Amino acid sequence: MEKFIDRLIKQFESGQIGRREFCQTLAMATAVFAGGAQANAAPAGRGFKMLGLNHLSYQCSDYKKARDFYSSMFGMQVLNDKGKGRANLAFGPEPGKGGNFLVVHNPGANPLKPSEAVIDHIAYTISNYDEGKVRAALKARGYDAPTGRDGSRHVYDPFDYDVQFASAAQENAFRREGR
Amino acid sequence: MESFFATELDDFATGKLSRRALLETLTLAATTTYAAAPASAAMAPDPALKVTLVNHISYNCPDFKKAADWYSKVFNLDQVGASKIDVALPFGKKGEKPMGVTANDVPLTHLIIRSRDLNAPAEGGAPRRKSQAVMEHIGYTVADFDREKAKAELKALGVENVRDGGLYSLHMTDAYGYDVQISGVANNALSDGA
Repeated sequence: MEKFIDRLIKQFESGQIGRREFCQTLAMATAVFAGGAQANAAPAGRGFKMLGLNHLSYQCSDYKKARDFYSSMFGMQVLNDKGKGRANLAFGPEPGKGGNFLVVHNPGANPLKPSEAVIDHIAYTISNYDEGKVRAALKARGYDAPTGRDGSRHVYDPFDYDVQFASAAQENAFRREGR
Repeated sequence: MESFFATELDDFATGKLSRRALLETLTLAATTTYAAAPASAAMAPDPALKVTLVNHISYNCPDFKKAADWYSKVFNLDQVGASKIDVALPFGKKGEKPMGVTANDVPLTHLIIRSRDLNAPAEGGAPRRKSQAVMEHIGYTVADFDREKAKAELKALGVENVRDGGLYSLHMTDAYGYDVQISGVANNALSDGA
C-alpha cells in the first residue's frame, strides 16, 4: 500500500492527476485493501473460486421509482446516483468486503442481448426474520396478502418484478439435500 | 475518508506537511481507519424489512442441467438437492459463511437453476404477473481476479463472448446466452458507476 501511495503522490506532484482524482483513487484503494484480506486463493485447476454475488443489474423504465422502492422497503443504501439514469443500492457487508448491490437503471442505448434464460425472481435474506413483524411491515406498505409461506414471502415491486425475502430457516440451499 | 485525504493533501500542497509525513499518514489511514469503521456508519436508517444479503437467484431456462453444468464448470460450484426440475448451486461449502457476514442466520447465496413453466400459477395459485423490468445481467465476485489471466482461463474453458467490462471486470455469455459478469472486490457499490 505504501508503494502504491508513493506512486500516487508522484503522479500528483507531476500533475498527472488532480486533487480530486488523487482522493478518489486512494479511497477506492483503501476499500479494496480492506476487502482483499478475505479474498481466498483460487483452487488449483480450472475455473474460478466464487466469493459471492457482486451485483444484480436491473433494467426498468424509471430507475428512480425502483430506487425509492428498494431503499425504502428493504433499507438498501443509495450510492452513485448522479441523476443520470442509474443508481447503486447497497446492502449487507461493506462495499468491497462482501456487500451486494442492486444496480437499478433505465434502458441504455444498446438493446438487451437475446437470452433463452431469465432471472424470474431474486430472494433476499432477512436476518432475525420475524413473521409477525414482517407481515405488519408489509401491511403498513399496502401489501395485505403477500404470497408464499411463513418465513418466505413474495411481493411484486413497482414493475411487477417478483421479489422474495426469507429467513435462513426456510431458504437455504443445503436444506434441499436428501429430499 | 475522501475528505480526510483531501485535507492531508492540501496541507502537503501548502507546505504544512512534508512528503514523508503525507505518505505515512495516508498509508496508516488507508490500512487501518476504513477497516475499523463500523458498518452501520454508512447505512440507511433501519426500515422494518432490512435485507442482509441475496439469498438466491432464480434462473429459469430450457434445460436446467445444461446451465447448472456451465456454472459448476466456470465457478467450481457444487450441485445440491437436484429434483426433476431444478438444482441449487451454493456459493461455497456446507458450514461456510458468506464473505463478510458474521451472523449465523444468513446462508450462502445460491443459484437455483430451474426449468419450469413461468406461465403456470405461482405458489399460492395466483397467476404470475408479467414483469416490465428485467434482471439483465448478474455480476459475481471471484478470488484473485486478474483480467488478462481470467480471459485466458475463460477461453480455455470454452466460454463464449468474453469482453471487457468497465475498469475492473469481464463479461461473457453463459450456456443460454445470459450475460454474466465477473470481477474482484474492486468492483463494488462505491466504484461501480463512480
